[in-house]
Amino acid sequence: MISKLFSCVLMISLFLSIAAAQTAPQSDALPLSTNSAKALRLMDKVWDLEADQVEQAKACVVLRKVVRIDPNFAVAHEILAQFSLDPAEQVIEQKRAFATKSHATPAEQSLVVWFQSAADHELIPAITSMNQVVKQYPHDKWVVLLANFWLMNEQQYERAADVYERSGIMDSPGLDNNAAYTYANMRQFDKAFALMEKYVAALPKDANPQDSYAEILRMAGHFNQSIEHYRAALAINPRFYSSQFGIADTYLLMGNESRAREEYELGFRKFPIPALHQVQWKNREALTYIQEGDLAGADDAFQALANYAHANKMGQVEADTYRQMALYQPDSKQSSALLDKAEAVILEHKNMMAFAVQQELAQILRARVELAVKQGDKASAESALEKLAAMSDSSDDKVIELAYHGAAGAALFAERKYKEAISHLDEDIDNPLSLRLLALAYRRTGDVQSAKHAGEVLASVNFPTLEQALIVPPFRQCIQSPNCDASMKNASRQ
Amino acid sequence: MPCLVHAKQLAVVTDTSNPTTNLSSADLLKIFNLRMRAWTDGKAVIVVVRDPSTSDMQLLLRKVLNMSPDQAHAFIQTHKGSIVVADSDDAVIRFVSSNRGAIGVIDLYSLTKDVNVVKIDSKLPVEQGYLLRGNEP
Repeated sequence: MISKLFSCVLMISLFLSIAAAQTAPQSDALPLSTNSAKALRLMDKVWDLEADQVEQAKACVVLRKVVRIDPNFAVAHEILAQFSLDPAEQVIEQKRAFATKSHATPAEQSLVVWFQSAADHELIPAITSMNQVVKQYPHDKWVVLLANFWLMNEQQYERAADVYERSGIMDSPGLDNNAAYTYANMRQFDKAFALMEKYVAALPKDANPQDSYAEILRMAGHFNQSIEHYRAALAINPRFYSSQFGIADTYLLMGNESRAREEYELGFRKFPIPALHQVQWKNREALTYIQEGDLAGADDAFQALANYAHANKMGQVEADTYRQMALYQPDSKQSSALLDKAEAVILEHKNMMAFAVQQELAQILRARVELAVKQGDKASAESALEKLAAMSDSSDDKVIELAYHGAAGAALFAERKYKEAISHLDEDIDNPLSLRLLALAYRRTGDVQSAKHAGEVLASVNFPTLEQALIVPPFRQCIQSPNCDASMKNASRQ
Repeated sequence: MPCLVHAKQLAVVTDTSNPTTNLSSADLLKIFNLRMRAWTDGKAVIVVVRDPSTSDMQLLLRKVLNMSPDQAHAFIQTHKGSIVVADSDDAVIRFVSSNRGAIGVIDLYSLTKDVNVVKIDSKLPVEQGYLLRGNEP
């Protein structure tokens, strides 16, 4: 496992970790401006918890203590903003980081501006600020790991790997952990596995190395080995709940939905977990019904999740749950009503980062485009796409941009403008919805080799998401059938 | 393990004293095929590129120059005095930032404050419809 930030609708994994052992000379380290020696000492503890052990909730507890001791510690506010499991705290801490940056060094200020710019959808200043810090402190673990985390979120895996490799830091378990995920996302599993072996060997008494190894094995499709490593993590630390849910996720991806539900329920019974983790795995549990084709069961599970989110004032989660429900409804009117509901929820909630609201609205618009396409309602598709294009034009947000490309690709595909569709779908290749259309679009243009390649990639996607549950299992079944080419279009349960 | 490459965005960069903020794609072509040798203020254009075999350069070759990597190699060989080949984005930035009139192409995520980003056809790399974005194997 790596640390996860839950501030965007896709539950994109973001990473921050700091290793305990100092490897770089002191002069290579980013100076941390605090007037409290105690706060500085506690930051080392945050590093251990966040990076090596990936105890995100515990790390946040320590971070809260740090900012209480020194309320002007800008970088601590920023790190808490990035890794808090509480959306309201994320908003508050980002504001505090920006407000207190005058107490920090120019390099720390650049770090805060980097994340503030990203939050404001200003990509170019975010990039230049990040590179300013990376250039100044290429060997600092904080800097390398924050860069890795942000670039991964931006799907800039090559650049993330580049920052890691240039850092020359070879003995930081936490950094190895993050880098392994970078390589796994690049599908360079040999490098990822090698780093995992190193991580496990470095911290044999910690659960997280086994948990991470399990997740990366799962990404590569090695499900049984993955479960073995999750169990090894639990043997080391029986309270390391992410491994219990990792087992459940793995059974989900293996297509063993009833076993997956048993494992999720076991986890919910055994472990008190933070609300944002609770909703993450409740969502995954709901996916088991989708994969089984039990849409009534899925409705019940998703509605319970929406109710929970509503009761806990988690507007984004509630809205996104309704959006997800809209995606699998057989009745278009029901889908449309759910999207209205999602939009109403997102607009009424105020305790969210502005960018998170925009991201969710973009996802809802994407769903509207796809729904209209399915209904053959060209005017509605164009209208929603126009709004999405305007949102995408006025911000540099990756999630919004990908939503636009996915929607534009789907609309152009429906109009049989396959070449134009490809240029958009190509930008959204981590989403199985787009990947399936990409494979089909290549096929329609006669590019059989690219179609085959896109299909192979789609068949190898192993992330427990709604899009995976809707698209990948039926696609895998389809490609094993001799009539697959003809039926691929209808292979998903959408 | 099958893999698709994520889309890239390239940034065209000049030194910070260069007053040019926008180039048409036609002008960009003229600059990179060495038909336009001076900026509007009379300063000589110096082109700096990565090796044509890199994926970034292949995107530039396909989208702007309509050349294969082999053709680009041959072109560079025959214009050695006019085109500088850098081995990294950092090297491109270093060269551009310290040579007035220089222009280069880098991955957007390598961008620093040491250089200016030039719009292409009035679009920044982050805008929809920007020329230099896409996938290369």
